[in-house]
Amino acid sequence: MSLRIEILPPGKGSQRVAVEGRLDTHTYEDLDEALAPLLTRQLHSLVLDLSGLDYISSAGIRSIFKARKTLAPHGGKVLLVNPQPQIQKVLDMVKAVPLNEIFSSTAEADAYLDLMQRRVLEAGEDED
Amino acid sequence: MQMRLFIPREHARVDDLNASLEAVLANNGVSPAIQGDVRLIVEELASNAIEHGDLARVEAEEHELCVDIAIREHLLTLEFRESGAPFNPLEQPPPDLDADILDRPTGGLGLHLVRQVSEQASYQRVGNYNVVRLTLRIPTEETGP
Repeated sequence: MSLRIEILPPGKGSQRVAVEGRLDTHTYEDLDEALAPLLTRQLHSLVLDLSGLDYISSAGIRSIFKARKTLAPHGGKVLLVNPQPQIQKVLDMVKAVPLNEIFSSTAEADAYLDLMQRRVLEAGEDED
Repeated sequence: MQMRLFIPREHARVDDLNASLEAVLANNGVSPAIQGDVRLIVEELASNAIEHGDLARVEAEEHELCVDIAIREHLLTLEFRESGAPFNPLEQPPPDLDADILDRPTGGLGLHLVRQVSEQASYQRVGNYNVVRLTLRIPTEETGP
């Protein structure tokens, strides 16, 4: 088994998924399958924790693109946390992720999510 | 160090091939970073050949993927050979990396990665085979205290 997928308990509109091992031609379908039921209209951010991911190929990149495309119509985002050097290099070579969607730690991603949440709430209050 | 590995044209066998290559490279002191580059090159070229390669009209037993790998001093040379119809993977149009990230076509990324991680790459049609030769520079490691 070269890819381990851990689905963490969902937060408010956010869902963290940790992937470990190799995300490639042999494993991307497992990730697509695991993510499919999570990518709902209510989800505003999918946080992929890549700390334990050792390797990614173009097949893995396409899985990330696919998740992003599913969430985009209702304003949802895919955030990536702590990519290791090989992963970062591959992401950079195909310009796969805007810089503001990559975080060096889950704490940093959480802080960003909190900020987004607060902005949404404040915007709601302003409207009243 | 020099060796040759053959596998049938099947996705599942590509993983075996990469496992063997990784073991050989590790035994020869090649860093995990370069091991990752080699895995990427082999996976992308093999997947492309398996998914898109029209088989040339040659004997069935010749439909194999073959990788030759050699390390000399600070250069790693990799030769990838397959019996598909003539196809130069190095001459495919680059993907549009600056298009809107949501509208971007996702084809062509793999071969783009192969070109990016290789220091040099060349293609030759040899008989019934597509032969791609690539070199990677192995960073010099600090020796001893």
